[in-house]
Amino acid sequence: MTECAKAKVDSDTIVEILDQKKGRMRACLDACAACSLCAESCLLYREKNNDPQYMPSYKVINTLGRLYRKRGRVSREELEQMQQLLWSNCVLCGRCYCPFGIDIPNMIAFARSILRSQGIYGVFPHTSGSPEAECKEIDATGN
Amino acid sequence: MYDFVRGPLFWASAIICIAGLIYRSVKLLRLTQKKEIVLCPVTISPKDKPAPAISAEERKLDRIARFQNSVIGQHPVMVAVSTVFHVCLFASPLLLLAHNVMLSSAIGIRLPAIPDGLADLMTIFVLAGAFFFLIRRIAVPKVAAISSAYDYGVLFLTLMPFLTGFLAYHQLFHYKSVLTLHILTGDILLIALPFTKIGHMVFFFFSRLHIAGEYCLGRGSRTWNT
Repeated sequence: MTECAKAKVDSDTIVEILDQKKGRMRACLDACAACSLCAESCLLYREKNNDPQYMPSYKVINTLGRLYRKRGRVSREELEQMQQLLWSNCVLCGRCYCPFGIDIPNMIAFARSILRSQGIYGVFPHTSGSPEAECKEIDATGN
Repeated sequence: MYDFVRGPLFWASAIICIAGLIYRSVKLLRLTQKKEIVLCPVTISPKDKPAPAISAEERKLDRIARFQNSVIGQHPVMVAVSTVFHVCLFASPLLLLAHNVMLSSAIGIRLPAIPDGLADLMTIFVLAGAFFFLIRRIAVPKVAAISSAYDYGVLFLTLMPFLTGFLAYHQLFHYKSVLTLHILTGDILLIALPFTKIGHMVFFFFSRLHIAGEYCLGRGSRTWNT
């Protein structure tokens, strides 16, 4: 196991970042009626045979929503699951449409910034590399 | 019990509901700020505008494509059911004659009343809409994937006053008990309204009318602080 994979989650930092936009993000999460009308606005959802994991609301509820619900107390494994949703399942093209006017791209970008604070990155706009491959690169370059 | 739910509990829940909605609106106002208006320094006269490069036929095709890709084009049944459901959800309790008679005798104010038959039909639309949403939540994979117990609870909370109201109006089961249950569930709904997902009604109007953005339907005069 590499040094990066052993890294612990800094929940205090996550809480600190969550608090920066708490009012806005909580208001948006509370307004989501889980209607799923955002689904068809996502090109990846259509491309991946309507797999619900590519739905904009699914990505937000299971990343940022979960971080707020658990008040930042999440495990490394959970953050790595979020990495898949936030980078592999989203190109952040900004085309998500919510009938309630929830700014989904902003929420996904915010969730990504939280993961970056824990050393979890996407290596390409729509592909998050395997954690091992990324850790090797981080350990080798120090970045 | 009956006197309590239609007396003190009703007034308490009505006050909590109104105060909660005001609080939620003020909170949204405080989370946003007035958008800075940037004026274009150059004025283009109509004469200088380039002629449209596309033909009338192309414009028609463009309109069709836009409609097909819109939420109405993608989900016509869902949009129709949702619109009827929400209109009836608001209009039927507010415009019901029996509610207005009580309101008038209590505070001397009344809204225009609709015939009982129409209110009954609107209640049926609400119940049918709620049933549609429930089936959709269970049977459609994309909706089921993001549905939690909370979502089912909110639907149940919304449905109950209408179901009991319908039963009371048609005097099915024990009238006094059903009527008490109707008022009690109505009171609970009023209290829950500003503090649960049902409060999306405040967010919807605020966000779609006032927050500047691509999908803004109003002036878009405000923007988020952070």
